[in-house]
Parts: sequence; structure tokens; C-alpha cells
Amino acid sequence: MSIDILTGANAAWLIPALSIIAFPTTVFLGRFLPGKGSFISILAIFLGFILFWFVLFDFLSGNSVPLHVDIDWIHIGFWKITWGFLVDRISIVMLGLITFVALLVQIYSLQYMKGDNRYGWYFSLHAFFAGSMLLVVLADNLLFLYFAWELVGLGSYLLIGFWFDRRSAAEAAKKAFITTRIGDVGLLIGIIILFKATGTFHISSIIHAAQNGGVADSTIFWSSLLIFLGAMGKSGQFPLHVWLPDAMEGPTPVSALIHAATMVAAGVYLAVRMTPLFELVPEVQVTVALVGLITFIFAGVVALVTTDIKRVLAYSTISHLGLMMLSVGTGAVGAALFHLVVHGISKALLFLGAGNIMHATNDATDCWSFGGLKRKMPITTGIFLIGSLSLAGIAPLSGFFSKDEILGSVYQNMGYAFLIITLVGGFISALYMSRIFLITFTGDPRTDFAQNAHESSRIMLLPVVMLAIVAFFLGMVAFPMWDFNGFSAFVEQGYKFHIIPWLAIVSLMVAILGLLTGWVFYYKSLLSHRAMASRFGLFYRGALVGFWVDSIYEFIINRVVLALGRLIAAFDRIVVNDTGIDGSGKSVLLSAFKIRLIQTGKIYSYGTAMAFGVFLAVAVWWVF
Amino acid sequence: MVGVLEVLEVLKIIDSSILLCLFGLPMLGATLLLFIPASALKIIKIVAFAVSLVVAVLAIYIFVSFDETLGGIQFQRIYGWLPLPGPWGSGDDAITLSLGIDGVSATMVLLTGIVMLTGTLISWNVKESTKDFFILYFVLLSGVFGVFVTFDLFFFFLFYELSVLPMYLLIGKWGSTSKFKSFVRTKEYSAMKLTLVLVAGSVLIWVAIIAIFFQAGIGSFSVIEIQKVSETALSPTFQNIFFPLLMIGFGILAGLWPFHTWSPDGHVAAPTAVSMVHAGVLMKLGAFGIIRIGIVLMPNGAETWMPLLIVLGAVNVIYGAVSAMGQTDLKYVIGYSSVSHMGYVLMGMATLNVLGMNGAVLQMFSHGIMTALFFAVAGMIYDRTHTRDTLELRGMAKKMGVISIMFTIAGLTSLGLPGMSGFVAELLVFIGVFQSYGHLGIILGSAAVIGAALTAVYILRLVASVFFGSTPEMWENQTDSRPRELLVAGILVAIIFSVGLWPFPYIEVIESGVNPIVAAISGAG
Repeated sequence: MSIDILTGANAAWLIPALSIIAFPTTVFLGRFLPGKGSFISILAIFLGFILFWFVLFDFLSGNSVPLHVDIDWIHIGFWKITWGFLVDRISIVMLGLITFVALLVQIYSLQYMKGDNRYGWYFSLHAFFAGSMLLVVLADNLLFLYFAWELVGLGSYLLIGFWFDRRSAAEAAKKAFITTRIGDVGLLIGIIILFKATGTFHISSIIHAAQNGGVADSTIFWSSLLIFLGAMGKSGQFPLHVWLPDAMEGPTPVSALIHAATMVAAGVYLAVRMTPLFELVPEVQVTVALVGLITFIFAGVVALVTTDIKRVLAYSTISHLGLMMLSVGTGAVGAALFHLVVHGISKALLFLGAGNIMHATNDATDCWSFGGLKRKMPITTGIFLIGSLSLAGIAPLSGFFSKDEILGSVYQNMGYAFLIITLVGGFISALYMSRIFLITFTGDPRTDFAQNAHESSRIMLLPVVMLAIVAFFLGMVAFPMWDFNGFSAFVEQGYKFHIIPWLAIVSLMVAILGLLTGWVFYYKSLLSHRAMASRFGLFYRGALVGFWVDSIYEFIINRVVLALGRLIAAFDRIVVNDTGIDGSGKSVLLSAFKIRLIQTGKIYSYGTAMAFGVFLAVAVWWVF
Repeated sequence: MVGVLEVLEVLKIIDSSILLCLFGLPMLGATLLLFIPASALKIIKIVAFAVSLVVAVLAIYIFVSFDETLGGIQFQRIYGWLPLPGPWGSGDDAITLSLGIDGVSATMVLLTGIVMLTGTLISWNVKESTKDFFILYFVLLSGVFGVFVTFDLFFFFLFYELSVLPMYLLIGKWGSTSKFKSFVRTKEYSAMKLTLVLVAGSVLIWVAIIAIFFQAGIGSFSVIEIQKVSETALSPTFQNIFFPLLMIGFGILAGLWPFHTWSPDGHVAAPTAVSMVHAGVLMKLGAFGIIRIGIVLMPNGAETWMPLLIVLGAVNVIYGAVSAMGQTDLKYVIGYSSVSHMGYVLMGMATLNVLGMNGAVLQMFSHGIMTALFFAVAGMIYDRTHTRDTLELRGMAKKMGVISIMFTIAGLTSLGLPGMSGFVAELLVFIGVFQSYGHLGIILGSAAVIGAALTAVYILRLVASVFFGSTPEMWENQTDSRPRELLVAGILVAIIFSVGLWPFPYIEVIESGVNPIVAAISGAG
């Protein structure tokens, strides 16, 4: 390896390296530094963001061949694992999203977390979290990806459980780790099965081998499904979504990061990365699309009735992740990635906006406790509006364009049934966004702290405003400009940018209809949402508790898994130990006592036994 | 005045008989302690620490200077001991103190050295009969080192017994009794069960060793000599009959299901340092014995019986993990997690392929360090709170920040988090298992991966309930780790990370010992 690992796109490995080095630096030295070392992790991610532009322009200026850097990690005999970096279009997009959002979130946290006991530790964790997520998107082999993937899981565990002295935070952190771990079991098994079939962990080599018929179809089928299980866990797809709403227990900027740029993005990224493999078996793609669609609708419905503002946003994230998976399932990876970026920016914006509100209202989160905030917090209101409209899919905000591309792909590849359900999901999205916006910002303040709310300080507004600007204009990159063929074509070679006019109009109408419905219910109160709720009582109560998915898991964990644990523990003690081990000891002891009785010392009993023995011997001799 | 030359001379002698020193020094230390009055606590501790430190340095020196490119047996010394004339002739070299180190034992020696030193440091607060404690502790470790460095079946067995028997006294005298609602496990019961069960295993091993000696018919107990003739002298039928004796006999010490129950009870009852040595090193003796004697001398027998062992290993993994979930005592959770993790070792060696075997040995090392850390931290908590009840311990992180971090690191290692030693070892085992035995391998490999997820469940539940959450009033006055304790944990944590992040130096050494064994099997098969 020569000097060229430091130039141009080859320097991409520095982006995660900076943040990862910032982690131990701040952990060990942070306490001696001003600001507890927070500026180190911010500087690391800032340099990463700058480097991203160098990488991007170098890549665009002709170095369009994917670049590899390999470092040996283990080799045994002729078998080896390398740590390699792959810089291609997909990873560059992810680099941009992660560094941008992580940077803004960290700047925002400077103010938001002020006065916390573990201020330095918080920023160390951010560096670690961002660094490991950046590693995920740069890894060129599945094992390395899994390595970083688990570190992302650890980062989320520590950040969600940041306030670990709160029981709920500790539980939420545990839940996030274990739920995603269930998916990771599948991921690891899938990776090993692919390794067994192809003899390599390299993503491109595996895909190459599979495309050339070097891998049996059943192997591709099972390994793809297992890998997708991993993606489902991280990206909160139904039914592995349960950790995501609870992850709200972490500090709000952490939610912004988890929901936008790290963690949940990892699953979609993995699915996008592995799509060439998924495409080889149509059943896998249909499964991915179906899981995505179910998640899209399911989480949207739950978001409709949830009143905790952060949980609404969380279910909205789950829902939109479902939309991205649907897009992956239809083969439109460009659109999926585009929506990932657009949603990431919009959702980071909304969460930081929610953070502003909580900061101003003494950490209240129930949307019914707000009201009339638009007069108290005009800037936050404005940026929240942009985020909401973008996610609702209103032109010309970016969310409209990304959703439109997904709809186009659904229509072309899956037919009308999927399209109609997806449009219904779009309606629901618009409805819950308008609901949460109208309840929070319009009307009269419903509580004292909503009455006394105030606009946030500049350092907290700056990142949010920047996100809002990007969320507003990002849609432009969908279109071809100069020699740039549009975002999807950049990611997905061979893709041709096109708009289906009638579909775009229908989608816009549906979104507007959703907003209007919200307006009718929650602004004008022409119809009563309470009446609606009582009319569909069971459905409403079901939606309120996330359709009992959590209870089912709770039942399985407490009544099945832990009960089994207690049962096996008792079995081990009573049957294996007390009966098996002690029992055999006791039987030896007992038989020793019994055998002792044979030694009576009386001549006649010995004589009887001897006579019996002689008789037996003669009998045996005579018979045979 | 001691001149430089004299020092060099001493160093030379040490270097030429370094393996002798390895188990001789602890024995010497034990003898030395005999002559120090029990009231001179300070001197006892200084001697104990000095001996442990020197032995640990020797162990590190052996590991570092082991030449992995050369492989084979290094530091070899053979001292004649007892001739046994017989049909094979004069039998001059029948029983020899045949010492040597290969890649596998170099790793185990390193592990033992580290655990010994950290165990000594953690035993500073042994109040009762400190002197006798250290004497027995050193005798125990002398036996452990002896097993790892000897290539003679007779001495192997001698050292093996030497390392098992002191446990009886160490647990019976310095141990602790666990009281539960419905039953009690006294330390005397645990000590007795441990000894009897392990001795039962030893009987099987001894029978197999004698059988091998006579069947080989060359009048030598040397593993190296017998291995040379094993292909012709030890017929496949013989191997098929006697391999299970070794597999079960050694397996018992490795925690093989269903003969594992001595281990959680024994670990829990033992004092901290003994738990560390016991779970950290002693259980590895069993696994080491299967490799060193079983697989090396009877490859055909191994091939016949390994499918059974791999299934039992998978049972160990899942059964141990599920049992750990049902425990309410901190040390019992760790004890059952050892049963579960030793399952990976058994599975790995049962694959008889390169990756699985390397993974098994690395897992032996990794689990040894990790579980030593576990028990050390559990001991620190117990010293402060005088309880191990996971229902009583709550929110400890607030007052015991460093201790909580150390425990969490051990926990993350055990659930196989990348970046820590457990991940590398388990990964190699997983891949090895997937590559072996066709569909059975895929099923058992998946079970092994699921076992790691189950570990996450019980470890994170434990961490969440014991360390996180609000701190009850009763635990408000606790203190965090002292420098000595921090040193112990720090050493172990550093090794966990070094293996996890850069396993290459360790794997190189292990590989040089394991690959010839695997190659021999492929040759025999």
C-alpha cells in the first residue's frame, strides 16, 4: 500500500477512523479538556464531513471504479479474513448522510445536554456510534460489516441507556439490543452459509459467484432471507420493530441520530447492498416488499392514535422504513436510498424540533399538553412544518420526489394492488403528520408550560434550520442536471429518470387529502376524533398499544423463555444433579451397606451359599 | 555482592530449564510459605505476589519467544525418571519427565500465568489462614502448569490429579455456602461433589492411559513416542473402544453435559481466586486433554466419536444458556455461562477441521480470561455487599461505576460482541461447525449462533437489573474499585481487547500447534 491511501476517494477510510479514534481519546482524556472533550468528537465528524466532499468530487471526476483497500485481520492456513473498504456510489451517499446528520446532531447536543453529569461520555459515545456506522457503509466484506454492525448495536445500547439510572431507559436499551440481536442471529447465519457456499466474505465476490450460477438457488434463498432478517431487526421492520418506539428513552438528539442517519439506516443500507443477491430469487424480493408494505401500513396506523410526540415520530420512522424496504423489494434501490436520505434529513429535523419543544416545556412529550406553540416558538414551528410536509409528500419538498419514485417502481413492478395499498399508506402518513402538527402548534396552549414556552437558543436552532433548508431543496437532486442523471441513476446504473405524470398527481392529491382530513379533525373540529375513536373502539385500543405486539413478546419472554429457564435450572438441580450425580453416589453407598450384610460370619449361611453355587454350576454344566 | 555475570548465569540456567521453573516455582513458593509463620501476613503476601509475578513473566516470555514459524515442540527437555523393563525390552525411557511446549500449550501457559497473577492479587483480602490458602493455591497451579508442559502420559496424569485435589480443601475451607429459599448448597457438599465427580473422570482417563501404554507396546509413556507408532499399534477398534473413555473422562472436567453439575456448584462455592483459576484454567485442562491425548493419539477413535461430542457440545451451549437464565445468584449465572461457553470449545474441537479447532483453542483462552474477569468482579461486589442475590442487587452502577463497566465488558465479551476476544473465537467455531458434518453442521452451527443470542438475553437482563436503574438506599454507601482491583480487571480487559481487535499474534501461535494435529487426522482418515 502506498501513499495513495491518503488521496481522493481512497481516503474515505479516514472518515470513520477519525471518529473511532475520537472515542478512546475523549474517554480517557476528555475530563482534562475544556468542554469535556466534546469538541474532539465534533471536530472528528466535521473533518469527516469535509472529507466526504473530497471523496465525492474525486469519485465524480472519473475515478468511478469502486476502490478497494484491504488489510489482513486473521489468516489461518490459506483461509483469511481481511478488513477492506469499498468506496462506491452507495457508500458515498451514506457517508454524506451520516456525517452531515451526525455533525448537526452533535452541535445541537452541545446546548441540549449542557449540565448533564456524563457530558463527556455522551460525546464519546456519539463519536463511537457515528464511527461504527460509517464503518458499516464502507465495509467491503460481510464479516467486517457484521463487526461494525454489532458495534452500532452497542452504540445504540449505550446511548439509549444513557440515563441508565432510570429503569425505563435501562429496559429500553436492553430491548433494543436483544431485539436487533434476534435479527443478527439470522444475519450471521446467512453470512456463514454464503461463506460456506462461496468461500469468501467479499460482497462483490459473493454476488459475482451467485450471478454466475456458482451458488445453489436454495442457498441464495435461505441466506438472503436470513440476511434480510438482520436488516429487519436493525431497521425496525414488523414484527421486530418493538425496540424503536422505546428507544425514545435516550436523549432526544440521540433519537434524531438513530432515526435518521445511524442504526435504522443500517438495515436499509444492507438490503440495498445485497439487492443484487435478492434479485436472483424472486420470492425473496416479494418477501422484502411484503414485509415493507405491512410495516408501512401497520406503523402508520399506530402513529395515527399515539399522543406522545416522540413516539409518533418513532412510528412514523418505522412506517417510512417500511416504505424503503418496499422500494428495495421492487428493485428500486436508487429510490430506496433517496428516500432514506430524504427521510433521514426530515426526521432528524423533526426530532430536533421536538427536542426544542421538550427543552422549552420541561421535557413534556404528550402532544395534548402543548397547543398554540406557533406563537411561542415561530422558528421551530416553521421548520417542523417543513419536515412534516416533506414527510407527508407534498411537492415541491423533497419527500414528494422520493415517494414518487417509489410509487413509480411499485406500480411498474408490483401492480395495482400494491400501488393502492401504498397510496393508502401515503394518506395515513399525511394524516398523522398534520394531526401532530396541528395539535402541537395551533389552537390555544393547554397547559402552563405550553403557555410559558420559549424559542430555543441559536446553537440549537442553527442545526435545525440547516436541516430544514436541505429538506426543502434536496428534492432537486432527483432531477437530471448537466451531466448528472438524477439521484437514482447515480446510485443505480442503467436507471433512467422518468416521471409518471398521472401517478405524481394522484400521489399529491392523496397527500393533500390526508392533510385536509387532519385539518378537518384537529383544526376545525368539524368532525370529532373522539367519536371516531369510540366508534372503532377495539381497533382504536389495539392501535394505542401497537396491536399487542409488545404484549405478545412480553408473554413469550416471561412465560415461555424465562419459565423455560427456571424449569431447566430446576431440572438441572433436581434431575441431573440430585438424581443423576448424587443418586449414583447414594446408590453406591446403599449397595455397600447391603453387600455388607452378606458377610454374616456364620458357617451355615456360607455353607448354604456354597451348596447353592455347586448346584448351579452342575446344572449349567449338565444343560450345555 | 552479586555481579552481572552471576545474574546472567542464573538467567541462563532459568532459560535452559524454563518449563521446569514454570511448575517448579509455584511448588517452591508453596514450600517456602510453609516455613513462614502464619502471623507474618505481610511477608506471606509479598512472597505470594513475587512468585506469581515471576511465573507470569515466565509464561509471557514463553508465549512471546515461542517461534510460531517453526511450530512443533519447543523448549524441549527430557529427564529420565523410571525404567520399566518388560516384553518391550529394558524400557529405560518408560516414564520420563518429558517437557515441551507447542502452540496450543503456549497459549494455555500464557492464560494460566495471567490468571494466576490476577488471582493472587484478588486474594489479598483472604482473612482466614492466608498462608494455607496460598500454599494450596500454588500447589494447584503447579499441577495446572505441569499438565500443560508435559508430554508424558504418566506425569500428565500426576499433574492432572495434583491440580484437582487441592480444590477440595480450598473450597471446603475458604468457600461459601449458598442458601436459597427451597434448598441449600453447602460448601462442603460442593467440594465433595466436585472432587468425587472429577476423580470418577480420572479413573476413566487412567484406564485409557494404561490401555494405550500396553497396546502401543513400546514401553514408553511418552506421547511423542506413542504417536509415532499409533497408526500401526493402536488399531481402529482399540481406538473406538478407548477414545470415549478419554472423551468422557476429560469431558467431565470440561463441563460436558450431563456431567457438568459439579462445575456451577463448585464455582459458586469456591473463593474468588479459586473460581477464577477453576473456571478460567482448570476446565481447559479437560479440553486440553482431549486434544493432547485423545485426538493426537487416537485420530480414528476421534473421528468415530466426534459427531456425538459435537451434539453434546451444542446441548452444553443451549442448556447452559437457558439454565443461566433461570438463576438468581450472580455466581451461578456465571457458572452456567461457563457450561455454555465450554460447549463452544467442545463443538469446535469436535469439528476436527482447521477453523473449528483453532476456534476451540482460542475460545479456551478467551473464555479463561473472560470468566476470570467475571468472577473477579463478582467477588468485588460480594466483598462489598455480602450478597450475590440478583434480586437484591439493584442500581449498583451509581456507586460502583468502574466495577459495573468491568462486569459489562465481561458480559459483552461473553455474548460475542465484535472487538472482544469472544467474537473471534466463537466466529471461528461457528464457521468450523458449519463446514463440518453436512446438514447436521448447519443445524448445530445455527444452534450455536442462537446460543450466543441467548447469552445476550441473560447477560443484559443481569446487567440491567443489577447495575442499572435507581439505587436503593441500602446500597448508597458502597465504594468503587480499589487500585489493586482495578489493576486485576485492567489486565484482563486489556487482553480481551487485544485478542478481539488484533487476534493475529495469538492465532499464529495456536495455529502452529493445531494445524499439524488436524493434518494428521486428515492423513489418518
